[in-house]
Amino acid sequence: MGEKKIKNIFVEGAISSQKIADSIQTHASKTNIGAHSIFLGQVRADEKDGKQVASIEYTCYLDMALEKMHEIRESIFAKYELTCMHVYHSLGNVLVGEICLFVFTSSKHRKMAIEACNELVEAIKFELPIWGKEIYQDQSIVWKENK
Amino acid sequence: MTITVYFFGSLVDITGQSKKDLNSFSDTDALNLMLQNEYPALIATKYFIAVNQQMIKANHELNNGDIVALMPPFSGG
Repeated sequence: MGEKKIKNIFVEGAISSQKIADSIQTHASKTNIGAHSIFLGQVRADEKDGKQVASIEYTCYLDMALEKMHEIRESIFAKYELTCMHVYHSLGNVLVGEICLFVFTSSKHRKMAIEACNELVEAIKFELPIWGKEIYQDQSIVWKENK
Repeated sequence: MTITVYFFGSLVDITGQSKKDLNSFSDTDALNLMLQNEYPALIATKYFIAVNQQMIKANHELNNGDIVALMPPFSGG
């Protein structure tokens, strides 16, 4: 068995559009790629009782999240013919309108990249021990629930 | 015997802490009952339990050094 390499997917705060652009640029040299699929999660200004969400603060169970992400990564690579796969998730405070999740899959052809990206996003949302706390403009909080 | 309990998400607000060291618990049912007595708001809250990062569905024996995590439903992304 090969040595297990656990990648850290977490970044402090929002994911910058520069990081996303740089990530795309990095793949220009991988000329066997014919298709990229990208999912970006953005913090939405939900309203409740006349109040608006100002930001979401993310926390996680780091060891378990990275271990679980490793398993998800392995299973996606086993299922789809991907050239590469990148996942970044925010921790800490992310303001409304900012990016909190960046999932990037690349393949020879579009179908594999798109399907793998979709499956990854679902797995990240439902299997990774990450919690989002919505902080409203008046500083009141509501723990987020994924639907 | 030491068991480390971690609380996550809304459970941190309920218990006022993210980590608690406990001793002498035979299994997760006993541990859970003690925590629910100490923090009654847990009773009305949905959460999962993991022992050493493995989700458990039924009562689970506890040993020295085990790490127990109480986790509300995930809400990443």
